[in-house]
Amino acid sequence: MNTPVISWQNLQKSFGAKEVLRGIHLDLESGTVLGLLGANGSGKTTLIKCALGLLRPTAGSVSVFGENSWDLSASAKARLGYVSQEVTSYPWMRVRQVIAYTAAFYPKWNQVFVDELSRRWHLPLEDRVGTLSTGQLQTVGIVLALGHEPELLVLDEPVASLDPSARRQFLRTLLEMLDGRERTVLFSTHITSDLERVAGRVAILADGKLRFHGELDELKDRVKRLRITSRHDLPASFAVPGALRCEVAGANATVSVADFNEKLVHDMRQTWDAEVSVHDLNLEEIFVEMHDGSVC
Amino acid sequence: MAAEFAPFEINPSSGIPIYRQIVDQVFALVASGALRTGDLLPSVRQVARDAAVNPMTVSKAYSKLEADGVVRRVRGQGMEVLPPSQNGSLDERKQQFGATIEPALHRARQLGLTRAQIREVIASLLQDRPS
Repeated sequence: MNTPVISWQNLQKSFGAKEVLRGIHLDLESGTVLGLLGANGSGKTTLIKCALGLLRPTAGSVSVFGENSWDLSASAKARLGYVSQEVTSYPWMRVRQVIAYTAAFYPKWNQVFVDELSRRWHLPLEDRVGTLSTGQLQTVGIVLALGHEPELLVLDEPVASLDPSARRQFLRTLLEMLDGRERTVLFSTHITSDLERVAGRVAILADGKLRFHGELDELKDRVKRLRITSRHDLPASFAVPGALRCEVAGANATVSVADFNEKLVHDMRQTWDAEVSVHDLNLEEIFVEMHDGSVC
Repeated sequence: MAAEFAPFEINPSSGIPIYRQIVDQVFALVASGALRTGDLLPSVRQVARDAAVNPMTVSKAYSKLEADGVVRRVRGQGMEVLPPSQNGSLDERKQQFGATIEPALHRARQLGLTRAQIREVIASLLQDRPS
């Protein structure tokens, strides 16, 4: 088996007494697009920064391309691209100059590609960086991270400040890059509809732990909402194994389950003498069910 | 010859996985005759680009269709639609149909229909259909 591109081994990270990550085990395999989801403050950025050697783990370890993240070689860094939540740059430089300055750090830099992206995204090359809007600055950050066509792309809410059309442009560019050769992407975002387009796998963080890690398709197949209509009032003992959320009102119940299968529905029909309908949930709905569930 | 039909209708934010949406639509297009034996499916790249989705998801759908015997991979050309008779064994198709009518039978019981009455309803439905 190949070495994972990123490997988090029992990663723990605290800031003072505050435990942000409480033992994360996760492997990101080559060629995978992993979507990282979690509520605000769930530790997504910390997870990413530990992987990039920008934060030191409290316990456990992280490796990138098989090297310890805290001690990454220049050649490993040349193979990765990172777009941070808040792009920091040099306000006095012109956009063109920042691009040239960044390019000088990389042994391989595809200027033709960068010119194409700058045109596509209408980057004002002659403007000073300090005068750019948040969205324009984020676009500059994306172009700088893609310029050396990295094998590993780490995106921490890269599109939060982009308008819908610029976001779609970005997704299309990302998809084009994935089409050519094997690339690995770690993509943290709150925009679940973007992940549904690009991510093959999803990791959901909650309370400093991994709530789910697996294929997006599998997640959609497993998490379902069931509507139960019985001929009689449902008893107080009404319960569903593996329920994420459950609401009962008289003869009706709405239950979201984490591990749907046909047998479950069959059993429910028999046990509660009820009609059961199954409803598919999209990623946003699944995320909400996992976070706000009240189990009966 | 490449098939001439509108590209797939893909909704990434649906609760149904994208690959399954494609598989289901190919099944439907074959059943309706919009896709005929020997037609080629649009390329993975084209579908991915049109819908702005990951090409790997489209590949997954095509591999599933190949495994189900709906299409076959023709080197250098793409995915070619096979004759419909090869779409699953009789047992599989019966099982699929069974899963579809299971909820209907349950409703019938709630409505207080007897087995004989349920059979009558199905028989009369079948009678109203050609062949």
